[in-house]
Amino acid sequence: MNPQLTRRRFIKGVIFSGAAVTTGTGYYLANAQTGQSAAERLVTLNVNGRSRPVDVLPSETLAYTLRYKLDLTGTKIGCNRGECGACTVLLDGVPNYSCSVLTQNVKDRAVTSVEGVRSANGTLHAVQQAFVAENAPQCGFCTAGQVMSAVALLNSNPRPTRDEALQAMSGNLCRCGAYEHYLNGVMRASGQIV
Amino acid sequence: MTTHLGFDFTPPDVEGKVSGEIKYAEDYKRDGMVFARILTSPLPAGRVANIDASAALRMDGVVGVFTADDLPPSPPPGNPTLASEYVTYVGQPILVVAAVTEEIAESAIDNIRVDFERRDFVVDPMESLTPGGKNAYPEGNVLIRTREEGPGGTPIIGAEIRDIKWPQSAIDAMRNGRNPVDGEFTTEWAFGDIDAGFAESVAVIEEPFVTMGYPHHCLEARTSMAYWENGKCYFHGSSQSQSANNNGLARMMNIDPGDLVFINEATGGGFGSKIGPYPIMAVAGNFSRMLNRPVQLRITREQEFYIGSARSGMQGWIKIGVKEDGKVAAVDLVIVNDGGSTGGGSGNSSAGHVTITFQPENMRYRGISVYTNTTPRGAQRGPGENEMAAVLAPITDKAAAVVNMDRVRFRRANVIDSDGVRSQSQSGVTSAFVREALDQGMRLFNWNERINQPKRTGNGNKVRGRGVGIGYHGAGSRGYDGLVRIGTDGRLYIHSGVGNLGTYSYAGTCRAAAEVLQVPWDRCEILRGRTDNHLPHSSGQGGSNTMFTHTRTNWVAAEDAVNKLKEIAAADLGGSPNDYEIDGERVFSSSDSSQGLTYAQAAQRAIEMGGRYSGMEYPDDINPITQRAVQGIQGTGLIGVSKDNIPGQGQPPGNVVGFTEIELDLDTGKYEILDYAAVADCGTVIHPTNFMNSMRGGAVWGVGMANLERHVYDPQNGLPANTGLYQSKPPTYLDVPTSTRAAAVNIPDPQNPAGCRGIGEPTQGASVAAIASALSDALDGHLFNTAPTTTDMIVNHLAGNSYSTQSLKTNTF
Amino acid sequence: MPSHDVMPNMDLYQPVQVEDALALADRLADRGWLVGGGQDTYGWLKDRAKSVEAMIDLSGIESLRGIRETADGLEIGALTTLTEVANSPVIQSSYSVLSSAAGKVASPQIRNIGTLGGNVSQDVRCWYYRRGLDCYRAGGNLCYADTPEGMNREHSLFNVSRCVAANPSDTAPALVALDATMVIQSVGGERTVAAEDFFVGPANDIQNTTTIRPGEILTSVRIPSTWANATFYFEKVADRNVWDFPLVNVAAAFKMSGDSIEDSRIVCGAVECKPHRVTNVENAIRGQAKSASTADSVKELATEGARALAHNGYKIPLMQNLVKRAISG
Repeated sequence: MNPQLTRRRFIKGVIFSGAAVTTGTGYYLANAQTGQSAAERLVTLNVNGRSRPVDVLPSETLAYTLRYKLDLTGTKIGCNRGECGACTVLLDGVPNYSCSVLTQNVKDRAVTSVEGVRSANGTLHAVQQAFVAENAPQCGFCTAGQVMSAVALLNSNPRPTRDEALQAMSGNLCRCGAYEHYLNGVMRASGQIV
Repeated sequence: MTTHLGFDFTPPDVEGKVSGEIKYAEDYKRDGMVFARILTSPLPAGRVANIDASAALRMDGVVGVFTADDLPPSPPPGNPTLASEYVTYVGQPILVVAAVTEEIAESAIDNIRVDFERRDFVVDPMESLTPGGKNAYPEGNVLIRTREEGPGGTPIIGAEIRDIKWPQSAIDAMRNGRNPVDGEFTTEWAFGDIDAGFAESVAVIEEPFVTMGYPHHCLEARTSMAYWENGKCYFHGSSQSQSANNNGLARMMNIDPGDLVFINEATGGGFGSKIGPYPIMAVAGNFSRMLNRPVQLRITREQEFYIGSARSGMQGWIKIGVKEDGKVAAVDLVIVNDGGSTGGGSGNSSAGHVTITFQPENMRYRGISVYTNTTPRGAQRGPGENEMAAVLAPITDKAAAVVNMDRVRFRRANVIDSDGVRSQSQSGVTSAFVREALDQGMRLFNWNERINQPKRTGNGNKVRGRGVGIGYHGAGSRGYDGLVRIGTDGRLYIHSGVGNLGTYSYAGTCRAAAEVLQVPWDRCEILRGRTDNHLPHSSGQGGSNTMFTHTRTNWVAAEDAVNKLKEIAAADLGGSPNDYEIDGERVFSSSDSSQGLTYAQAAQRAIEMGGRYSGMEYPDDINPITQRAVQGIQGTGLIGVSKDNIPGQGQPPGNVVGFTEIELDLDTGKYEILDYAAVADCGTVIHPTNFMNSMRGGAVWGVGMANLERHVYDPQNGLPANTGLYQSKPPTYLDVPTSTRAAAVNIPDPQNPAGCRGIGEPTQGASVAAIASALSDALDGHLFNTAPTTTDMIVNHLAGNSYSTQSLKTNTF
Repeated sequence: MPSHDVMPNMDLYQPVQVEDALALADRLADRGWLVGGGQDTYGWLKDRAKSVEAMIDLSGIESLRGIRETADGLEIGALTTLTEVANSPVIQSSYSVLSSAAGKVASPQIRNIGTLGGNVSQDVRCWYYRRGLDCYRAGGNLCYADTPEGMNREHSLFNVSRCVAANPSDTAPALVALDATMVIQSVGGERTVAAEDFFVGPANDIQNTTTIRPGEILTSVRIPSTWANATFYFEKVADRNVWDFPLVNVAAAFKMSGDSIEDSRIVCGAVECKPHRVTNVENAIRGQAKSASTADSVKELATEGARALAHNGYKIPLMQNLVKRAISG
């Protein structure tokens, strides 16, 4: 076990919401803008290689934080239930549904969204270039998620077989049915289709 | 020599899609914007007796509540934006709350008390037609389209609700796969003499069938955001169409279309559910005006299920007579459509599909569409045709078997060709090369060899089946406008009022203008996506219409520009316009190419000459929308503008044939699609890679219809079971073939100057039909007569458990 | 129905040591909600179908993560992700029924964060119950699914009692097949329970699917070496091959003696509120050849006692066929 971790404080965080119960069926935020606990919600996220301080509610999802607070709207919310993959981002390089991850849970992790995969000089990532070449996106709403799954795959497995690519991409729904073109894009980005 | 048509290019919005930079409606923010959420009905039927929003309005952060009272009344049979007197399905929007954050708006929803009065409800059309059956509306259960003579002979099309019940004998006949002779229908037509046709048949097949409705579930839940500035409404929406929305959307806010700026750069899927302005769009603009703040209305996935529209299901009966030579002599068809809460069905289009595939000389169609207390129904990818293709394919195979014909050859013998006729009107088509597509597909798939290979390959308890299917949809329209501008920079600006739901036909059609004017693509710019880009009158981007329709409009607008270039050159350099030609972005004398003007120079001259050259004047016959667009750019270059008056007649058909091989696991009822090959008859392919993606996307949709997607409602309480994606089951990467083949006949359509027709919709029909055909083949000709045929149905069949279409239920198991 | 999709505001505790988590779980009891990967949690909370005052996020507790080889097999921390379980070399080589099962859960992204503890603790997938209706399981006094018109295609065949919901887990049958032991801690100490007894049906407890009580935390799963390197079989049949819960799944372990079956554990999922072990089949094949003919001769035993609802009768032949395939291999 990592000794660094065991030397932490007993409780890394307690984030109180300042919530007040109104009825048996729901809660509302009594003092969303003020309240003494607001400072406790200030976190610094590592997003696309930058430190981004942001006020985050305890139960806020990462998709919400990215889209509403950091203005990173490339990440889409298709279902908000982990059933489509449009919101896929990388956490320490691993694809996750950002609609189904609490922002408070990624404070120590590197978050990469679609806005973070271009190279510094603005060149599209090889996956993005390949998706353009294959004319892969149709409506485009799932595309950011497809890009993220493909980038993660090629980072860990630069020359996947077609079946490995298929499995790796499988958590991304495309309602337009452009699967084969995305898959060809992954193979093209890996240098196996030229 | 064509340089643009038939060559790949990258539509300008693709990069924004892969980079995440392109904006959908919900990606826009505006200072002071508030977030709206919908309160939806918990009841399948009833009325709103009282709304008490006082507790919600007292909450910090809540800025307002918007109800049906804030909109003009919407008597049935409309599809109201917000329901009040007529609540007709679970999930129907009742009111909208706006707050400074989404979570406050959602909490406010829980603090609003709505008192409802319940009414009877029904979720199954046949149940509603049964004596004593419940009606979805207090007034009745059937939508009747009315047509009256209006002033000047213009027909006034209306609709009303009637109460229709069938005698029990007709219900029993349908449920037992027989002709419901004494059932009442609202649509009946016939041609020829079906009795005579059946009399000359050597075999007559009678089958019942049922297809399920299912939601579109566009991946972007439809969002709108609106604000008002300087007397104009800026409306960010999610639509398939652009200019075609202007008038309807302006009407929703009771403003002049000139005061609407509709912004819709990208749309997260449509599939027919966003062709025109849909009811919930009335909220953002009107609520924003009421609150005097920008309002964003993002809806949940579950609400997208409720209001995002769905395919109509159908319960039907068909009787087919086949002559000894394999020609279909007669067809008798009955369809009871499930119209959901909006009442409309697609039975007539289903019957149209039958006429395309069989070209019967004698046919009768009887149809009725019944309201149910389920979600609103609307167009969904090949509405009517594709679900008919799904159930018709195995029945067609059975017909081929009784006359001992190969299944492809049977189709070849019956299907429409360029001289054929279609549908009730028995009117013609612009051209049709389905036979050529079948021939090409047989070679591509190696049909003759593969159907003779053994079904058992020794791979466990698995058996193979091979199938063929035909998809068809009317694919094109006429009479819209094109608008192009040559700027003083010499670039070609192509104004497109076509929407952008992801088919890229907005871009493909613009290639026609570049072709006519022979401008390199990198010297062209497409203006689109927002009304204030001055966009011409365009068709709604639905019905596979765009390619045929708007290659024509861009063609005629560009030709208008060519003529003006020649006229300007003749005016400046002498001679007649006919003495000039164009090439290399110049107009020049045919006899001396050094005598000419660059496009940039000609544009400058057009501005100086004014009149129709610079758009100061324009043709009388263009639509007011196009007139406004021309006014917006007049005097800025050489304007080419024209209505599509290209002569011609008949419907441009989109046809696809599909071939597939599946391997069915007899233990589990699951099957794998081993191979899929499809051939399109869509005229000239304009954009090859995009054509392939369209073909493959449609094939994926075919898998969903064949095996997975369906509504599930509980008839006890009217609750839908499958509001979410994991319950609605759109196909995933691992459910579809991902190494498929597609090709095109590529014979130009004579009535399109670019040679093309649309293809979006029949791609699904060919796929679902081929899969259904293959499943039947794997099971030695067993007919499920259902779409979808789900895993449990296959397991039940294999186990000898009773399952049949005789229950003919849609929306339930 | 009212529809929501934004997480409601609530408190969040993020302990890094299990003792603190236990103290919080004890103090908050049923006012708190234990969160591992959260993949079952967030839907309930976003829907407002269930609500609590606070989430106790266990994901920061390193001691609850990881796969350790022990003297008598393996110990898998409850917070170990399904991807880690699926990709673990030791599980793949010696207990592959579990890695196969974990690899079939939902989708890659869900497996990347979803945990083994969460997968076995997840609530039933009855759509009526998930809609927040007042059914027996939700504390009411009726079942919407067990009626002639109920839409109960996904529901249970066995041992229903007022509630007919099925357990949707893919890993739970595998753990029962491996005769795993569940390690449960509370401030009062640790208790262990056999996987087979960890899951409970509605006859015993209609509101919970496991024996975990408020204040308790499932901390790890012990896999005994008893079944290490046995002959394993796992298969899941679902409508779609991604995301969907099983219509029926089967997990089986066979100890072979030459060509004959010395002992076996065969467990089906999604046919009961807990993993359904077919001990009558296990008894019938003991000493028999592991063959297609053995499989055919016993497959109908698998569904003895099954009672089909209006729309789930297909599960009977499907389950028989899966048990048959498990045996015939």
